[in-house]
Amino acid sequence: MAKPAKKLVIVTEKILLKKIAKIIEECGSTGYTVMETGGKGSRNVRSSGQPNVSDTQANIKFEVLTSDRDTAEKIADQVAVQFFIDFAGIIYICDAEVLYGHSFCGPEGC
Amino acid sequence: MDFLSLFLMDFVKQLQSPTLSFLIGGMVIAALGSQLQIPESICKIIVFMLLTKIGLTGGIAIRNSNLTEMILPALFSVVLGVLIVFIARYTLAKLPKVKTVDAIATGGLFGAVSGSTMAAALTLLEEQKIPYEAWTGALYPFMDIPALVTAIVIANIYLNKKQRKAAAAAAHAPIQESFSKQPVAALAYSSDASGTVGDYPDQSDYPSSRQEYRSQQTPGDSRVKIWPIVQESLQGPALSAMLLGLALGLIAQPESVYKSFYDPLFRGLLSILMLVMGMEAWSRIGELRKVAQWYVVYSVVAPLVHGFIAFGLGMIAHYATGFSMGGVVVLAVIAASSSDISGPPTLRAGIPSANPSAYIGASTAIGTPIAIGVAIPLFLGLAQAIGG
Repeated sequence: MAKPAKKLVIVTEKILLKKIAKIIEECGSTGYTVMETGGKGSRNVRSSGQPNVSDTQANIKFEVLTSDRDTAEKIADQVAVQFFIDFAGIIYICDAEVLYGHSFCGPEGC
Repeated sequence: MDFLSLFLMDFVKQLQSPTLSFLIGGMVIAALGSQLQIPESICKIIVFMLLTKIGLTGGIAIRNSNLTEMILPALFSVVLGVLIVFIARYTLAKLPKVKTVDAIATGGLFGAVSGSTMAAALTLLEEQKIPYEAWTGALYPFMDIPALVTAIVIANIYLNKKQRKAAAAAAHAPIQESFSKQPVAALAYSSDASGTVGDYPDQSDYPSSRQEYRSQQTPGDSRVKIWPIVQESLQGPALSAMLLGLALGLIAQPESVYKSFYDPLFRGLLSILMLVMGMEAWSRIGELRKVAQWYVVYSVVAPLVHGFIAFGLGMIAHYATGFSMGGVVVLAVIAASSSDISGPPTLRAGIPSANPSAYIGASTAIGTPIAIGVAIPLFLGLAQAIGG
């Protein structure tokens, strides 16, 4: 049976990867997916494939599935407070349904 | 006029060397809109190879050399690293439309060392058969780390001072807006919005949706920890590759792989890296144009000024302890170079409020091409003219 979940998406700079992963774990989420991405935002085009020798332009996209909105908002608030004044980033949330995932617990428990 | 003609002839000859011609070639094809792409992972491998090779060369040579000779050049490297940041703090930061934190970060990046620029200088020295001490590559961390640490420390001291001033002003201000639980954060934000450099003009209305997250921001703690910065620099890809090479060269017997793999591939890979750096330089110029024009002036002049200071100090070491002329050139070139691999992420993490378009743009778009294209031939020519 599909379990309702919230999908929190954080698109930001790659150098924040470890710090954001730490926040996500501290907020009680047990897993997340990270992708390398690129695109355009208010701070110019980033990592759109120009050659570079360091990672400063690279972007990542976190996807975290949480069982409730509170956890997702806690993660989002902490990330925004700590980083989004000085780093590029955007956070959005969507509804999701987990179809298969052995260890994912929905709002009604596992 | 003998000196000048010798120097000019040398300069033209340097431009034809593979290192410089690939750099210029990269800039030209990027300017022409070429779709050529070198995968990022290849660049990473090349950086690893170059710095490991430099480390191995140094490590193997150190085994049978007198290390006391290294003390004076190493000391000069530390002095230069710190001095360059202060030069930026008191020249670039005073220029109109330049934010002080951006200037300090730029100084840090120009003080830090570029492994690829150093590799280019070492290659040219070898091609010209100018002898240099093999351990000169090991001067890299002595200049790199002090520069980054100094930049991050003085930037944070400056920011804390500004924040305290804002807090004092806020204490006298009559009424705070309701959402602002922390007056400091609110004011820091408003002074940020009125900042002179408008790289992203919509920055001021960025947080409108969730105002509270700004007010939640705690005022940054006033102590800067130095050890994590040093640790991060040492763990960076460039320095850890070089230190690994150095250690292996010292302890192990890597001569067979060195002769069959690292040494023969070095120049070819360097030419690819130079091509990529040329392309990247061109793509960053546009970014730099959006911040203050003074960065262009600084990044043209600064590498040469830093190089000349280093050359002077190197000459002192030359007369005092017999530091070779080739070594003097390396010292001048690493002072002229600006970090492009490990410096930017360290600074971005250490001074998050500085605008990366300013300091990375200044270094990658102009500083590095000037260091490789002008500083290396200039100091090589100078050394040959003086040394005869």
